[in-house]
Amino acid sequence: MPRTRRTRLIRGSQYAAFGLLVLVIALTVDWPSIRDSYLDPSKAAPLFPAILTVALKNTLVYTAMGFAFAVMVGLIFALMRLSPVTPYRWLANIYIEFFRGIPLLLWLFFLGYGVPTATGRQLPFAPYSAIVLGLGMPAAAYLAETIRAGIQAVPRGQVEAARSLGMSASRAMVSIVIPQAFRIIIPPLTNELIVLTKDSSLVAILGVAAGTEELTKFGRDQLNTLVNATPLVVAGLCYLLVTVPLSLLVRRLEARNARAQ
Amino acid sequence: MTLRPRRRQRMLATVIALAALTLTGCGAGRSARVDGVSLVKGGTLTTCTHLPYAPFQFKQGAKVVGFDVDLIDLVAKRLGVRQEIIDTPFEGIKSGQDLGTGKCDIAAAGMTITDKRKKVIAFSSPYFDATQALLVKKGSGISSLADLTGKSVGVETATTGKDYVDAKRPSGVKVIEFEDLATEQQALATGQIGGAVNDLPVWLYYIKQHPGGFEVGTQFDTGERYGFGIKKGGNPKLVQIVDDVLAKAKSDGTYARLYEKWFGRKPSK
Repeated sequence: MPRTRRTRLIRGSQYAAFGLLVLVIALTVDWPSIRDSYLDPSKAAPLFPAILTVALKNTLVYTAMGFAFAVMVGLIFALMRLSPVTPYRWLANIYIEFFRGIPLLLWLFFLGYGVPTATGRQLPFAPYSAIVLGLGMPAAAYLAETIRAGIQAVPRGQVEAARSLGMSASRAMVSIVIPQAFRIIIPPLTNELIVLTKDSSLVAILGVAAGTEELTKFGRDQLNTLVNATPLVVAGLCYLLVTVPLSLLVRRLEARNARAQ
Repeated sequence: MTLRPRRRQRMLATVIALAALTLTGCGAGRSARVDGVSLVKGGTLTTCTHLPYAPFQFKQGAKVVGFDVDLIDLVAKRLGVRQEIIDTPFEGIKSGQDLGTGKCDIAAAGMTITDKRKKVIAFSSPYFDATQALLVKKGSGISSLADLTGKSVGVETATTGKDYVDAKRPSGVKVIEFEDLATEQQALATGQIGGAVNDLPVWLYYIKQHPGGFEVGTQFDTGERYGFGIKKGGNPKLVQIVDDVLAKAKSDGTYARLYEKWFGRKPSK
């Protein structure tokens, strides 16, 4: 069989398999029951505006607090990993490996229940402190590695030029290297922000007062109240409202970085 | 050129100083005392509960309502403060942790008074008599745990119902644990489990909300009584006030009125 014909045949069979799959789904799925359970407009309407003004807002606030903390702490650990002082490098390595290996849910339980039990008191500013530390400390471990890679990706000539202008090593790091490193790592940094947006759904286990629920907890509560899965679908769409634009942004930035090189 | 980095440094120092100031400044003046009762947050009676547990506490729109909520509102009114409800996992409530660490002043979570819990929580006088019950789908013919041999029975994490089933289940019955009441109910409704054990009043309310679908297969008379939880040894005055409020509500008919409002019948005594 000639090669072009074979390629065409294989491609044709792939399209046929896909078409068959769509057909099977369309015919076997009970559409009215899907609409009633997941896409009922009368169950979606009462979710507004609270799902946006309370739940989505809290998701964004928790994510932003955790991310701001993670960038600051991540930068410190990135610099420690690159430090000529050996104990600093050890400390940074231990921190990074610990938090990359610990499940977020376990860490949140530790902050919300383990620490108060051991000390006999809540963390100051609970639950916000637990939210910031809970989301921020593990994220800082990931960001530390990202930032370190970014710092190492800044061409050596930049440091050499800065030093030859009379800047000290630390001044060159702060004014020349770190700003360029952040420019390089904006795409992976944005990816981490997307991950954190979704991870914020776990903070509900810290305990939720009226008005502090984020999207997932809000969706679950409404699932219980309305006995219908539509709130979960709407909550999911709200996450996509945040994450998809961020994803598109990452793609554009990556394309621009690729062009610049 | 040399001026700019230094100015930036000074700005950084100011920001750090401001952050430190806000961190230390806000800590003071949060807890408060009213009538000899210490409250973790001024002007507020903070209640820990685990939602949903209808009709004791559940969400109606954005508000948490229920029998427990109404009773604690009486206590808050007596103290002249507002009730704020925190929805938190039941493990933290029944272990006494949430009360001991000052997360809340009182726990109102349809909580049975047990000897084990008494070691870590100061309980109010009992405010409700409850028994455990097995909820099944209508017409399933299941009327005991033994009828579930080869099937699964659902329980809720950290509840007395779970302890009962763990102790009494026949060997052929698989126990599946659910994180909250709603997931347990959903599992039964969708046929993932053959029966679900939880407190009787909760099932009676559920049957009322979903007529025709479910029935109580059997009851397990465990002689359980609910109490409100308060920090062990930490707030004796609050225990006393809660007991006073409960006694007064029972004598002036408020308790009977609330009971009928949430359970659809008068209290037996």
